[in-house]
Amino acid sequence: MSKLRAILIMTVYAILVTLASIWMAKQSYSWFPPEASAESKLLDDLFSLFTGLGTFIYLGVIGPFLYSLVFHRARKYDMSDGPPIEGNTWLEIVWTAVPLVLVLTLSFVSYRTYEKMAVRGPMELVHLHLPQIIQPAYAAPFDSTPQQEIENAVETAPIEEIDVTAKQWAWVFHYPKQDITSTELHLPVNRRVRFTLRSEDVLHGFYIPAFRLKQDVVPNHEIDFELTPVKTGTYRLRDSMFSGTYFAANQADVVVQPFNEYQQWLADAAAASPTPAFNQAAFEYSQANDQEGATKDNVVVRGWDTIPPASPPVVNYAPKHEPDSPPT
Amino acid sequence: MTNISLEAPEVVRGQPYPGAPDNWKRFFTFSTDHKVIGIQYIVTSFFFFLIGGTLSMIMRGELITPDADLVDRTVYNALFTMHGSIMLFMWTFPVLVGLGNYLVPLMIGARDMAFPRLNAVSFWMVPVVGVLMLASFLVPGGPSQSGWWAYPPVSIQNPTGNLLNGQVLWILAVAISGVSSIMGAVNFVTTIFRMRTPGMTWFRTPAFVWSVLGAQLIQLYGLPALTGGAVMLLLDITIGTSFFAPERGGNPILYQHFFWFYSHPAVYVMILPVFGMFSEILPVHARKPLFGYRVIAASSILITVVSGLVWVHHMFASATPSWMRILFMVTSMLVAIPSGIKVFGWVATIWGGKIRFTTPMLFALGGISNWLFAGITGIFLASVPIDIHVNNTYFVVGHFHYVLYGAIVMGIYAGIYHWFPKMTGRMYYEGLGKLHFALTYLGTALTFLPMHPAGLMGMPRRVASYDLEFAYWNVLASLGGFLLGLSTLPFILNMVSSWIRGEKVGNNPWRAYGLEWLTSSPPTVENFEELPLVVSGPYGYGRNQPLVGNTPNPGLTEFPESLTAMQSDEL
Amino acid sequence: MTAERVISQDVEATVRQHQEHDAAGNSKFGFIVFLLSESVIFLSFFTGYIVYKTTNPDWYPPGVTGLETREPLINTLVLVSSSFVIYVAERYLHDKKLWGFRIFLLATMAMGGYFLLGQAVEWSSLPFGFKDGLFGGMFYLLTGFHGLHVLTGILLQTLMLGRSFISGNYDNGFFGVEATSLFWHFVDVIWIVLYTLIYVWQ
Ligand code: HEM
Ligand SMILES: [Cu+2]
Ligand SMILES: [Cu+2]
Repeated sequence: MSKLRAILIMTVYAILVTLASIWMAKQSYSWFPPEASAESKLLDDLFSLFTGLGTFIYLGVIGPFLYSLVFHRARKYDMSDGPPIEGNTWLEIVWTAVPLVLVLTLSFVSYRTYEKMAVRGPMELVHLHLPQIIQPAYAAPFDSTPQQEIENAVETAPIEEIDVTAKQWAWVFHYPKQDITSTELHLPVNRRVRFTLRSEDVLHGFYIPAFRLKQDVVPNHEIDFELTPVKTGTYRLRDSMFSGTYFAANQADVVVQPFNEYQQWLADAAAASPTPAFNQAAFEYSQANDQEGATKDNVVVRGWDTIPPASPPVVNYAPKHEPDSPPT
Repeated sequence: MTNISLEAPEVVRGQPYPGAPDNWKRFFTFSTDHKVIGIQYIVTSFFFFLIGGTLSMIMRGELITPDADLVDRTVYNALFTMHGSIMLFMWTFPVLVGLGNYLVPLMIGARDMAFPRLNAVSFWMVPVVGVLMLASFLVPGGPSQSGWWAYPPVSIQNPTGNLLNGQVLWILAVAISGVSSIMGAVNFVTTIFRMRTPGMTWFRTPAFVWSVLGAQLIQLYGLPALTGGAVMLLLDITIGTSFFAPERGGNPILYQHFFWFYSHPAVYVMILPVFGMFSEILPVHARKPLFGYRVIAASSILITVVSGLVWVHHMFASATPSWMRILFMVTSMLVAIPSGIKVFGWVATIWGGKIRFTTPMLFALGGISNWLFAGITGIFLASVPIDIHVNNTYFVVGHFHYVLYGAIVMGIYAGIYHWFPKMTGRMYYEGLGKLHFALTYLGTALTFLPMHPAGLMGMPRRVASYDLEFAYWNVLASLGGFLLGLSTLPFILNMVSSWIRGEKVGNNPWRAYGLEWLTSSPPTVENFEELPLVVSGPYGYGRNQPLVGNTPNPGLTEFPESLTAMQSDEL
Repeated sequence: MTAERVISQDVEATVRQHQEHDAAGNSKFGFIVFLLSESVIFLSFFTGYIVYKTTNPDWYPPGVTGLETREPLINTLVLVSSSFVIYVAERYLHDKKLWGFRIFLLATMAMGGYFLLGQAVEWSSLPFGFKDGLFGGMFYLLTGFHGLHVLTGILLQTLMLGRSFISGNYDNGFFGVEATSLFWHFVDVIWIVLYTLIYVWQ
């Protein structure tokens, strides 16, 4: 009778936990910025899977835990001990084996997702001295939509090449074909883009949350990095690897446009002559070191000497104002 | 429970340590008694916990608004650097060494550590480290501002050009703390290997001792690598060598390998002893043997080994080639298994027990539940694609504070409450303890849960200012941070007042198994008059089985619940 | 239960005796643990050396093509044989032959001193310095750090030599001498690896 009840309770709980896990897995999509790249869809699916399984494990463990805390309390004058159970070999084998299978599965699924993203360009394989596998990983036949998008982008049009230079504290984007520079990153939608990431001084992090992608930028070391934007709009590029005093201000806007608008923008920029762009770090630095500087009183606690920012980049195109936050 | 003499507490306190100076003064001497040193460690590091906490409160004050308006950006950078460094090197490491120092010799039936004088030297380096760290606030250019990782090239950029700068002081401080830790580790390992009392075979050794052994072995193999990296970094800054300086042909990524080869396992140096304390505390307050004791004990050593093979997961977004990313993803996932086994073992331990919600038990349970959560987000981080998105965001900050505050600090509190009657002979105040627990648990959730969504939205860590879209989560986290600051007050009040005038509760108020409960509270100078002779495993609850075959302290009259005989109150 | 008690008391009375008075054994154990840990510093430097060398094809400073190996080889032979010399010294001490011990210890010190001298001569003749690129940095870091260990070893030996004149110094065993000798072997082994890495592998 009590055994039956236990089984019943466990079954009901398992069902509830499963439902809750599915709900959380669905919910997890809303925790992210918009899905602006093909890769971001891959990542969100993976994250959703992790969230579902994570919720399942969490509730699966915390349920018995709380049950025990509620129902296995010592009564007030009960000074006796509990049953001297020291272990149970089968149980221990099971709860070692199940997590083992689980994490290996998660590793495999993560690996597949990573492979589908194929964010690291062919450069890397050259470095590995493995020219025979230069054939890009994304050519493998995958079924899901984002993969299709990446594939289409690769097949239908040449890859857009953009040089990215990070420095203390500015981002400069160079379009080698047109030889123009900008402090705002413009990208064509539904095209594969290949960045060459360079740093002039310290480590930086090339991070666009709406793309779910990030790559540290390392001085003396060019890094190829690929992605496919799939949604027009304005997003934010942030420095993600701590780079010194004005690190937090080292941001730029990313504008994903239809291809013709993008072409237009390139043409306009090529016609413009280079001018110094607004730079938040240089601006704050000049104010802080101004004798009567207005920002002197902007902070309550004054700071120490800093590495001076590089002078504002001189570029063909710069937004007229400091970068906007993306709409929330 | 013994009756207490509220009339004249100071007389009763007397001098439990024959030959020692006045009771409290011995804590200010170069004592070689492991119990004195243990308490010196705990109290000193708690002082730095408060300092590190104050720094975090200022940071949360800055972050309650999106703009960098409370402190200058350089100050914010110095704050998170010093907060992280102080919390790790001046609080978590030393407080756990202190608890280990106090407990390990008692638990293995030894009279002291293997090298008592070395032990004292190790301790007295800690205040030196603290002074160096704090002094860096006073040098021109301020303290180090490169984060507790001190990644080059930022860490070798030297704005003032002075040789004496915050970064150099930071490296010196970390180096001295490393020397102290290595000496401590040699001491612990020798003690545990060679000083266990007769009859205490490996599988009669308490889980806490196993976990300390695992942690200290990590110190031995890991710290030297960090030291190597730190020496090279120091040479780069001071002499101008080119190891990590890209403009001189160096390789900054190599530093990251040196750093994380130690600093990932270092996380386990901190969590393992806490696991050990959970494993000690649960059986006592649930009155059941530790479930799967042998597996839990051995998994500590497994963690020691495997945690040395996962360090690159901190560098997934670095210039790490894909094969390395995948390889280290798998090893990182695997390290979750021994930790998972422990959690299952703890749940099975309390299952069907006779649970009492004493303060140490509450903290242990709370710590375990937080660890469960942090462990799951840890598996997220091990997955390369997920980490590529959340690496260096607030998701990571939320994750590691769930480990550090939610599990480790809670576990430390649990340990302090649990062994407080042993250390002082007095009982803490249960009501204040429960209040402390409630504030800590809520504060942890309110501070560190909101950091996860902020990170998923793309808020980088180490920022003094942020976009408006993150404001909501940051206000919550700031309020939680202030709540956590508040939560330390009942603790301090509790400790101070009950140490002075708490109820005297005899030698074994918890009716616990374990050699440390066989001696007086506080224990006499050499712990045991005669070394205990262990005749059974460490968690004999419900089995009417004596732990030792002799009477280690024959002179001890007050010994109502002697484990040398059957538990008198057994039915 | 009582049977168990009797047996364990019997068997372990000796163990306990041993344990309580075996401070020297503890010291030796602890010292070995320490040396193992210390070796990881060298290991990390070696790893750094290998990584730098394999990833930077032109890592010698301009004008440098390699290192002279002959003199260092002599140096190496001296250092390695000094390990045997200190072993002989230890044997003499075991046999309570103090003078033999002192003479051979002195010989060890002389050989260590010769090694350091040779190192200094080599350093002063090299066309590159500490700041000359990765190779310069790594070379001086490794040889310098090792040299510091040699120096420490010699200082320890001096201490042991001085202490051998204190009467009754060896009543409680000679852990100090054992540790010094162990340390010296350690320094030797490290040098062999170092020599292979820097001089042989060019
Ligand atoms: C009142 C409780 C605490 C609060 C409110 C707090 C808050 C913070 C904040 C705001 C940051 C900086 C995040 C950033 O700007 O990237 C931070 C970083 C950090 N905290 Fe805490 N913290 C607390 C307790 C602790 C404890 C107990 C520990 C360790 C035991 C700890 C260890 C760290 C570490 C290692 C860092 C990283 C520093 C770095 O990025 O270099 N914190 N904390
Ligand atoms: Cu490359
Ligand atoms: Cu790690």
